[in-house]
Parts: sequence; C-alpha cells; structure tokens
Amino acid sequence: MAGATTTFRTKVVAPRRATAESPWIKGTLISILLLFFGFFLILPLYVVFHEAFSKGAGVFFKTFQDRATAHAIWLTLLTAAIAVPLNTVFGVAAAWALTRFQFRGRSLLISLIDLPLWVSPVIGGLIYVLVFGRQGWFGPWLFEHDIKIIFALPGIVLATTFVTFPFVARGLIPLMQAQGHKEEEAAMTLGANGWQIFWRVTVPKIKWGLLYGIILCNARAMGEFGAVSVVSGHIRNKTNTMPLHIEILYNEYQFAAAFAVASVLCVLALVTLIIKTYAEWQAERQLRAAAESVE
Amino acid sequence: MSIQIRNISKNFGKFAALKDVSFDVGSGELVALLGPSGSGKTTLLRVTAGLEFAEKGKILYGIKDVTERSAYQRKAGFVFQHYALFQHLNIFENVAFGLRVRKRSERPSEPQIRARVEQLLDTVQLREFAKRVPAQLSGGQRQRIAFARALAIEPEVLLLDEPFGALDAKVRKELRHWLRNFHDTTHLTSVFVTHDQEEAFEVADRVVIIDKGVVQQIGTPNEVRENPANRFVEEFLDLGRDSVPV
Repeated sequence: MAGATTTFRTKVVAPRRATAESPWIKGTLISILLLFFGFFLILPLYVVFHEAFSKGAGVFFKTFQDRATAHAIWLTLLTAAIAVPLNTVFGVAAAWALTRFQFRGRSLLISLIDLPLWVSPVIGGLIYVLVFGRQGWFGPWLFEHDIKIIFALPGIVLATTFVTFPFVARGLIPLMQAQGHKEEEAAMTLGANGWQIFWRVTVPKIKWGLLYGIILCNARAMGEFGAVSVVSGHIRNKTNTMPLHIEILYNEYQFAAAFAVASVLCVLALVTLIIKTYAEWQAERQLRAAAESVE
Repeated sequence: MSIQIRNISKNFGKFAALKDVSFDVGSGELVALLGPSGSGKTTLLRVTAGLEFAEKGKILYGIKDVTERSAYQRKAGFVFQHYALFQHLNIFENVAFGLRVRKRSERPSEPQIRARVEQLLDTVQLREFAKRVPAQLSGGQRQRIAFARALAIEPEVLLLDEPFGALDAKVRKELRHWLRNFHDTTHLTSVFVTHDQEEAFEVADRVVIIDKGVVQQIGTPNEVRENPANRFVEEFLDLGRDSVPV
C-alpha cells in the first residue's frame, strides 16, 4: 500500500489563495489595463513628442524664439509664481485650522475645499467674469477706476488660484490629522513660541506632504486651460498662457509649433510625476512614523 | 518650588472634568495623581502645565500666579506618556531644543549647550545614542530622552503624564526606581499622573486620589492605605490589590 502513493506525481504550482481570480481572468484584466494605459496615456505622449519634432529639431527650437510663444511661457510662469505661493499659504493655514481646532461646520469646510475639483473649470472662470467683468457686480466701479481684472493678469491669477486651491490643503489634512500635536505641545513646554513651533516642529513634520501638494498645485496651475480661457481674452503677447497659445497655434495649422509648446508642458508633467512619486513615498514614511510613535 | 492648585474647575462642553480641585505640592515633594481613567487626573496635570486652561481657579508656582500664562511662559518640565520626541531631530538635538529656542540674550553658547546636553545624556545613561533618531530607540530609552529633554530647560517643577504607561513591566519597574533615585538627589518638585496604585505608592511621597473630577483623598501612601477616606478609595485600592502586580 505504501508503494502505491509513490505513483502519484504532484505538479508543483505556486499556491493560490482562495480569493484569487483564475489565471485566465487575471491575464485578461492586466491586458485590458495595459491596453488602456497604452492607448490613453503612452500613445498621446508619444504623439506629442513625435509631432513636435516632425519638422526637425530646427523648427522645434525656432518655436521658442517666437515672441508670442516666449511671452506665453513667461505669463504661465508668472501666474504659477503668484498662484502657487498663495495656495501654499492658504493650504497650510486651512489644514492647520481644520485639524487643530474643533468648531461647528468644520466637516462642511473640509468638503468645501474640494469644490474646485467637482466644478467645471469653465464655471470657475465664469464666476470671476460675472463678478469683475464689464457687466458684472464690480464692473462699473472697476472701469471708473481704470482697474483691469478680466482679460488681464489679475483675472488669470484669480481663475488659476481658484482651480488649484484644494491641492495643498488636501495633501496636508490627513497627514496632520494622523500626526496629532503632541510634538507641538512638547515644544511649547520647552519654551518655544508659536513661530518657533511652526518652523522647527510642524514644518519638518509635514514637509513631504507639503511638497507633494505644492508640486500638484504647480502642475495644475501651469496646465490650466478652461478657467483661464474664460477670463483671459486670448490676447497674444498679453494674456495668452501656454495652454491657450497651444490652441491658437493649432488652430492656425502650425502643428509642429503647437506640439513643441505642448511637449514643454509634457516634460513639466513628467518631472512633476517623478518629484511627486518621491514626495509621496517620503510623506508615507512620515505618516508611518507618526503611526508608530503613538503605537 | 511649591505648586498651589486653587479651586480649579474645568469643563469640556457639558462634561465637568474637574470640580473645584485644590491642593498644594510642597517644594521638593514628589506627588502622584492617582485615579481611574477618565477621572480628570491628566486634565489637572495639563492645566498645571498650561497646556489647558481652567474656567475657574488659580495655579501658583511658588508665590508666582501663573494662571494666565501659557505653557511656553511657565516652562514646567513636562514628560508625555508617548514621549512626544521630535521625530526629525536626533537625540542630541531633541535634548538641546529647549536651549536653542531661548531668546538670543538668554541662549547659552554652542559649547555650553553641548556640555549641558552631554551631561544630561550621561544622567540618563544614553550618551552613546546622541546621533541616533528617536525611531531607533526602545520605548524605555525614548522616555529617558524625554526626561533629559524636559530637564534641559532647568525647570523648577517637573510634571509627568503616565510616564511609564507605554512601557513593558520590566522597564517600568526600572524607570520607577530611576525616577525615585533621581528625585532623591535633585529634590525637584514633581507631580506624576498614574492609574497604577502600586506605582503611586512605591514612588510618591504623597498621593492625591481623584475620581470624577473631585479629590477623594490626599495623604502619604501609608495614610491612604490604612485609612481610606471613603467608599470609593477603599474600592479602588481593593481593586488594585486583586489584580496581578505589575
């Protein structure tokens, strides 16, 4: 009898958990995912760079010597340079207030921070036209005092700030909630004032989450089309940002130039992705450290 | 320096955490605040440190009325249950923190800071850990660093919130003895919060038993053990006696 068992050959397979799908389903799902990825993410990215260089590197680089293009890039950088610091300060203040203080309407405020993410960016732009535009609430007053907001830099900055304001706060709120404020209290008992506590304890604690938020905010600020399109007026050399300029070039059949400018935005996105991934990884480490320190 | 707690009342919303609490801690005394969880003992310690503010009553350090002062002006040494070390700073910088945040006119020089921190690290026998970060230390080591950090500012009173609460039984016992020895050599006025009566009786000169925000009894360990003031104290002590000694 004992010898009979040796006749069975068992094939060695990797152990499969009871909840795991069959290999066939697994294969199908992964293929769909890869196809989707390729078609919607990789292919467009490839097309952008391919088209940008379709007429050679000469045309590619000449695009950036064009005055209107250079101005669009400058305006985009300027807008981001104003909107991102504004939203950084706002985001830190909001996260601070919403995680440190208990007050009525707190959870409502936390959900309201996300509003710009739900609302179409066009509406974000339209709000400012309705408020500051020629026919808007403050329009006549602004006109009398010769202050231009719509179809000028202030409008572009306002619309960009509106669209990008959730990013910093959203990154920080879960982090600060998990960390609690024991370290800040300890610093306080050691004689540190509010300013010292903020810079020496809070900022180091949240720095990766903060960086993560700032980077996302910046990427969105430079790439924003809808909201800016409504308030900008598309005046070349004046109120044209990079995304708007791409559209104009494309509509004028300057495909290589349009894609060349687009490729700059793509490179920005890729750089953002790399820094974001690193910051995210570090932020998670901080979050884990916070979880461990309270065990 | 003595601590005087005068008629302290504190509410959280409708919940009365402390009701008209008064007692004194003599200069150089080591007092335990003993009570079940939710009794208000930690709240009282935090009010004493200036981390919370009471609705009514006064706190005096010596003859100084500190009721309106916040924690950073009171500069009481405070030790937290979960250490609250600065995760991003190494052990040396954790201990040096209180010295570095002083006003320029009162800040010691770099060599003075170094000497002071090293002396404190010797006191807690962790000098060789100066360059490590808190995450690399065990619980008992972290709490010793938390002691050293609180002592760096040369506090006139030391307040400890369940200082051994997060540690395992063996380390707990060691640190308990260490605290008692430390107190015997420095006579730094100290108050520590605990829910463990054995710990309170073994370490403290006097015990303040609190329940439901009210002081139930104050006395030396022997007094309290031999003459429980009321039913609550009696039952609370009995409860502790039955449980497995820690």
